[in-house]
Amino acid sequence: MAGIGFELRKLLKKQTYMGLLQAYTFAGVISSGPWVLSIIGIMLIGLFSLGAVFPKEAITQFQVTITYLFLISLIGTGVVQLSFTRFVADRIFGKEDATILPNFNGLILTASAVSVVLALPVAAFLFPEQTVLYRMLFVMGLGIMSSIWIATVFLTGMKHYRAIVLIFFVGYSATFAFAMIFKSMLGMDGLLLGFVLGHYLLLMGMIWLVYKNYHSDQFIAFDIWKRGAMYGSLMATGFFFNLGAWVDKLMFWYYPGTGQQVIGPLNASVIYDFPIFLSYLSVIPGMAVFLVRIETDFVEYYDKFYNAVREGATLDHIERMRNQMVHHVRRGLFDIAKIQTIAVLVTLALGGALLDWIGISRLYLPLLYVDVVGAALQVVLLGILNVLFYLDQRRLVLGLTILLPVANVILTAVSLQLGAVWFGYGFALAMLLTVLVGVWMLSQKLEQLEFQTFMLQ
Amino acid sequence: MTTPTSPTSDNAFPHAQEVDILLLLEGTFPFVAGGVSSWVNQIIRGFPELRFGAVFIGSRPQDYGPMRYALPDNLVHLETVYIYEDQQNPPVKPARADPDAMALVEQVHSRFENDLKAPDCPHLFASLMDEAGPDGKLSHETFLYSQASWDYIKKSYKRRSTDPSFVDYFWTIRTIHTPFWRLRDTALRCPSARIYHAVSTGYAGILGVLLKHRYKRPFMLSEHGIYVKERKIDLYQAQWLKDNRSVFERDPSRVSYFRQLWIRFFEHLGYVTYQAADDIIALYEANRQRQLHDGAPPGRTVNIPNGIDVAKFSPLRTQRPVQIPQVLCLIGRVVPIKDIKTFIRAMRMVVNHLPDAEAWIAGPEDESPEYAQECRELAQQLDLVDKVKFLGFQKLTELLPKVGLVVLSSISESLPLVILEGYAAGVPALSTDVGSCRQLVYGLSGEDADLGVSGRVVRIADPQALAQAALELLGDAEAWQQASEAAVRRVEKYYSQDMLFTRYRALYEKNFQWQA
Repeated sequence: MAGIGFELRKLLKKQTYMGLLQAYTFAGVISSGPWVLSIIGIMLIGLFSLGAVFPKEAITQFQVTITYLFLISLIGTGVVQLSFTRFVADRIFGKEDATILPNFNGLILTASAVSVVLALPVAAFLFPEQTVLYRMLFVMGLGIMSSIWIATVFLTGMKHYRAIVLIFFVGYSATFAFAMIFKSMLGMDGLLLGFVLGHYLLLMGMIWLVYKNYHSDQFIAFDIWKRGAMYGSLMATGFFFNLGAWVDKLMFWYYPGTGQQVIGPLNASVIYDFPIFLSYLSVIPGMAVFLVRIETDFVEYYDKFYNAVREGATLDHIERMRNQMVHHVRRGLFDIAKIQTIAVLVTLALGGALLDWIGISRLYLPLLYVDVVGAALQVVLLGILNVLFYLDQRRLVLGLTILLPVANVILTAVSLQLGAVWFGYGFALAMLLTVLVGVWMLSQKLEQLEFQTFMLQ
Repeated sequence: MTTPTSPTSDNAFPHAQEVDILLLLEGTFPFVAGGVSSWVNQIIRGFPELRFGAVFIGSRPQDYGPMRYALPDNLVHLETVYIYEDQQNPPVKPARADPDAMALVEQVHSRFENDLKAPDCPHLFASLMDEAGPDGKLSHETFLYSQASWDYIKKSYKRRSTDPSFVDYFWTIRTIHTPFWRLRDTALRCPSARIYHAVSTGYAGILGVLLKHRYKRPFMLSEHGIYVKERKIDLYQAQWLKDNRSVFERDPSRVSYFRQLWIRFFEHLGYVTYQAADDIIALYEANRQRQLHDGAPPGRTVNIPNGIDVAKFSPLRTQRPVQIPQVLCLIGRVVPIKDIKTFIRAMRMVVNHLPDAEAWIAGPEDESPEYAQECRELAQQLDLVDKVKFLGFQKLTELLPKVGLVVLSSISESLPLVILEGYAAGVPALSTDVGSCRQLVYGLSGEDADLGVSGRVVRIADPQALAQAALELLGDAEAWQQASEAAVRRVEKYYSQDMLFTRYRALYEKNFQWQA
């Protein structure tokens, strides 16, 4: 989220606790807003459908369907998320702003088309017990979700942070309202119809924002698919990162002892999924700290360092700026660790009560603890990747994001073999390993920053 | 002249495995016309029995046009090396440095900095330079991409640089060192020779140092101008050198650090070259003194002036009308260094006394059209439009019989051939006191001076003195006649081509006997 630092710094500049609070709240909202809204939205729909949608399993079927739509669209568009952001940044740098809108349209079209083409046979053949409406909504939902992720990263890259959160809020309110309207008429299909309509609205809101801000004589273009227009390493990075973050869930869903068939070919794991989704809610403060620390303090010295290099500062000054950068990376990562430690402690203290309150067995408690730690490490990893992106270390980032799914697959497989006590450790240890390797690489890079800046470029 | 060849098409050049004499030429023959290049051409043609090779050292290929000279038949090898050609760096990849090589690097730099006159300094430098290749301990990659090299650059910056900007220091160091690897490549590539003969210090000189060190063959150095001095003049005028000192740090009496760095660099190259050369040839005594001052060992220095083909010009003496032509002729390019404006101003005074007198300016104007235009305007302002004639390039054998005085108003010259050519045609010279001109007009003390005065020498940028001296000669037939006769005697005795060839033949023969 390059560029957010400016707004955050404005808030921090007030030098008051209120300003500080505002900065962290703002950072928390814009960094976590969209996915928190989606998790809460889907949970609320489920909660309010109890007693209205029968059988009760249909609600689970709805939630699992949504989860798969998220999963497939995130991993699928992961290929273009980072690379398209970079493509847009390059066009802006090259003062070719007019090429942005047609390529955005081209990418949305490609993503929708690919989603539909992939989803159609799945919907046609793998859901024999479902209605035609369900199958059609499944296909449409995938196309819409894929488009939404692309629009989201695009607008994030263009710094429309507030608008994104607002559109997500409106979109999920509408999703909730539509779901409530259609649930009594169509049951589970009604919930899905509400979801698709609400997200269609959300997508249109984003597209409206894009059209408001970008203009072009050309409607559609496919420059992004020309050789070299998008960085291959970024495409792979986006794909592997999303895969790495999801692959342990997939394994639990389809492992005989831990997963159950829910709807058509879609499995879920009751024991595994809930703690994971809860633990992701616990990283909100970590995300806020990450954004504030990296995008303000680190970026400030990052800019100063490169200005010092370019504008002929003394070596002392250059080294000082480098040390400040290192200091703020360290401090940022420590702060994320600190705040997430608090989250872990809170979970340790209140986790049991929380589960009781939601009505889930305390058997999940150990898994929840491990997942909270794993999710916290994922935030630290995001911080490391972000700094490495700033240093333009695309190959290192790619290496780390390949390590993540590989480690996750192996360690999760081991944990599945070892039995229920070890569930969750695969994910958490994979994150820990990737974070440790990432920290080591980052430290190497920063150690040699001037050498590489001057000698190896 | 052969068909013009682009300097990049190396294939069109003659190639040989071995030559008798390998000339090391920086920015001259055959791609740049001028005094030094003509001299090189003259030397090669003067020894048809020897096989010559030439290495042309240039900055970048695009800085040079086609060849300006037809290649003599006995030039059997020609190759080019462009030391600042872009994009020839090896691919970026971290490299390792050999600790011994880095120790040598430190040692050589410390010698240059603290103890230039140490007896082992030139040898250390040559050994270091000989490591500067893929097969040596100090590959270009090591210099560009190794941690040790980076650490050394940082250390040197901290210890030495008085300019705050590290990035400028870094790039200056890179730029200054890059030619060494290109030259080392060339040293491996070029044909074996019995003598290496550089025609300047600078990069050509150090290529000679390296070749001598590597192949143990004698190394001769002929200097026309003084390379280090010319480089200093360039560097003092150079606008591209950065000075990043702040208002408080800046002391106008102190030269900016990067200027100093470049100047010291060329001084050191010059010193090492003088130390390594077996024979150091100057054109005239003032330059030899300068070489001694810059570190040339006195025993190896000698003066060999330029020489001309006197026989080609001697018939012209009879073609001159009985009356001395009232024509002052400046033969040279119309460029600021020739200070043509002083000549035009002097003409105003000359014409006041000798209304028939004319000023001819014979030389191309394309090098500095602006300056040429300013000269024309000056002539106009002084009401001399029909007295000052811009003739463009002229054939000297047709021009000289119509001329009464060869004039040079330059602010810098070495040993101008036009004066000698004028002498051979019996035309006295009127020159500013630059380079060897005093020696050419009054003679070196002794036999040379006894030949008489063959013209006049005046201070630079002094139109009145120039006019006064012109009037003394053109207004006094007897004085003119004496100067003319002295001019002919002087050129025949000291500045004939045969003299030049004889003396170089002796040096070449001595060096052919040389055993390492």
